[in-house]
Amino acid sequence: MDKGLARLKSALSGKWMKSTAVHESEKLAEVASYAVSRMILSYMRNRYLTNKFAVAEAKLAHSFFEKEGDGALGTISEELGISVKKENQSDRFVTIHGVNGILFVPLPAYLKFSPRSIDYKLVNRSVSNGFVSVNPHERRRLMEEAVRKKAGEIPQLRGGVPDSIKKAAENLKSDLPKIEPQSTVTFKEGDNPPCMEKLLESLKKHENLNHQSRWALAVYLTARGMSVEQIVSLYSNLPDFNEKITKYQVEHIKKRGYSVPSCATLLSYGICCADCRIGSPLNWKGKVWGAV
Amino acid sequence: MEKTWVQNSMDPNERQFVLKKFSAYYSNANIQIPSINQREFGFGNIKKIDARHLSFGSAEAFRTYLVTNTPLFVSHSAAYYERPDATPMERKGILGADLIFDLDLHAEGKYGVYAMLGKVKDDAIRLMEDFIVSDFGISKKEIILVFSGNRGYHIHVRDTDYLGLGSEERRELAEYANGIGLNYLNFFDVSGPKRALRIIGPKESDSGYRGRFAKAVIRAINEKTQTFSRKFSNIEERERFTNGIKEGNWSKSSVSDILERLKPIAEQLPIRSIGVDTSVTQDIARLIRVPNSIHGETGLVAKIVPLANIDSFNPLDDALAFGTGANSILAIEFNEDVPQLNFAKSSVGPFKKGEKKELPESISLFFVLKGSAKVIL
Repeated sequence: MDKGLARLKSALSGKWMKSTAVHESEKLAEVASYAVSRMILSYMRNRYLTNKFAVAEAKLAHSFFEKEGDGALGTISEELGISVKKENQSDRFVTIHGVNGILFVPLPAYLKFSPRSIDYKLVNRSVSNGFVSVNPHERRRLMEEAVRKKAGEIPQLRGGVPDSIKKAAENLKSDLPKIEPQSTVTFKEGDNPPCMEKLLESLKKHENLNHQSRWALAVYLTARGMSVEQIVSLYSNLPDFNEKITKYQVEHIKKRGYSVPSCATLLSYGICCADCRIGSPLNWKGKVWGAV
Repeated sequence: MEKTWVQNSMDPNERQFVLKKFSAYYSNANIQIPSINQREFGFGNIKKIDARHLSFGSAEAFRTYLVTNTPLFVSHSAAYYERPDATPMERKGILGADLIFDLDLHAEGKYGVYAMLGKVKDDAIRLMEDFIVSDFGISKKEIILVFSGNRGYHIHVRDTDYLGLGSEERRELAEYANGIGLNYLNFFDVSGPKRALRIIGPKESDSGYRGRFAKAVIRAINEKTQTFSRKFSNIEERERFTNGIKEGNWSKSSVSDILERLKPIAEQLPIRSIGVDTSVTQDIARLIRVPNSIHGETGLVAKIVPLANIDSFNPLDDALAFGTGANSILAIEFNEDVPQLNFAKSSVGPFKKGEKKELPESISLFFVLKGSAKVIL
């Protein structure tokens, strides 16, 4: 129980527990602590904590992957749903890089587990006959992402919750940052990147926004700490405003904890309207400070 | 699927007449929907979708519905559900979803698109052959190409490996086809001093965008010899360069800024002329027109294009739901001017407002549903 709690506490602080297990019994205790952590998470149902945990577990797994040999990596990779091939059997395929160690990941698995970054974007990859080629480092990165996704899926606890779990949860609660948004957030001029500013301007002018714009703006505003009520009241400017639907959708966004769409995504939505080179609208402040 | 369409001004008698024709079509139409009992259905009479969250236990039940309660528009979900009729969406229990690509054309005027459908078909074929089959590795057996019934084509992919993809992952595929974020300069490794640059790049035999770029460049240099540089009017210069490309060596040209000059070729690579509608591909809860059902705005069949006849397929000849012969004539009166169209293997129109005409049913009903004519009952 203590190890499980410690595992979560170190995840909260952005670190991961290094394995110190030598004996078989210690190794078992470590596996058990993972299970305990998940039970505590299932009881608490706190998205923030769960995400922190998932990231820490993924980093921990990555540190193991780096030490593993090809054979073991292959087995783990398979288990995570990423079966790789050393050679693409299709005669249409010709290795393009000529570098040793290139592996072929089935496209659906690649899509599921590739990090959302421009380097992993499909247009920048070699895609052929349902396989994407990756180097060993990239394969480990995919595996890390698979671990993060798996660790972040916490099943509902069945039956009664043991007191020890409840106690551990109480203990953890005091460590959680107060992330509940302040009741009001007001922006000054220049607080938001041009794309979001433009959407806010449109709202003020009662212009209609398409679904993606509404979604992107709501996710962004939520991330900036605006409350559901505040966003709904902003959206009441929309010509086809429906309080019930808007409230439901904004609450849904909050509940699901969507991450703010990247600049590349906004570009593909047609929302991006300036070349700020900040990667994500949330980096806007950093950009301004950097410039000063 | 656009939801902006609103039912035109058919009066009740006319509407009944039209729906009777639809019903007759449905009584022996070839409609096969895999896993029909796991699909959600939507129907439309006023808009494209007025009612959704409906389900059918079997193909017979579905046909009976279409024949007796005939709607103008019929859609089914791309998704498969445990409980397709449950609401809200979260309660349906999603099991997976077909991967859908939607290519739609927009053109000037009510009839502008019909002369340009060949272009959309070319893009749809390219999307299928180059991207879905070659790059994504999906067998043609798992793909249907469907004329949308109006202004474009839908591609349904039913490969089990792809059914479980989430929304983000689907969008990535659509963006790949649209070339979002594609920078062809990333294909190259440039090294060495300025006067003797060593440029290593894609080969003809490479996969995906790289190979397509190499092939397109070789073709373009040989066909439009002077477009990229006057130096390519010299056959030796041309051959030296293109032979180099075949091996991935792009340094064998004396044109110093050759890579920059090839930009227009790179821009032609994605499905960009019309573009895949990303919002359709990424929307797992989307309802899509039932293949081989009638599109209520045109009376044309959202026909599954037989892959064997793909080249000759022309919707205005081959996707007709009603009669085209002399024994199925329907008299109509035009209430607006209509341009000339190639329809049912003949030239039709132009027609003037107020003109009365006796035309084959398929053509008459097309103009009636487009809101340009009234049935003379």
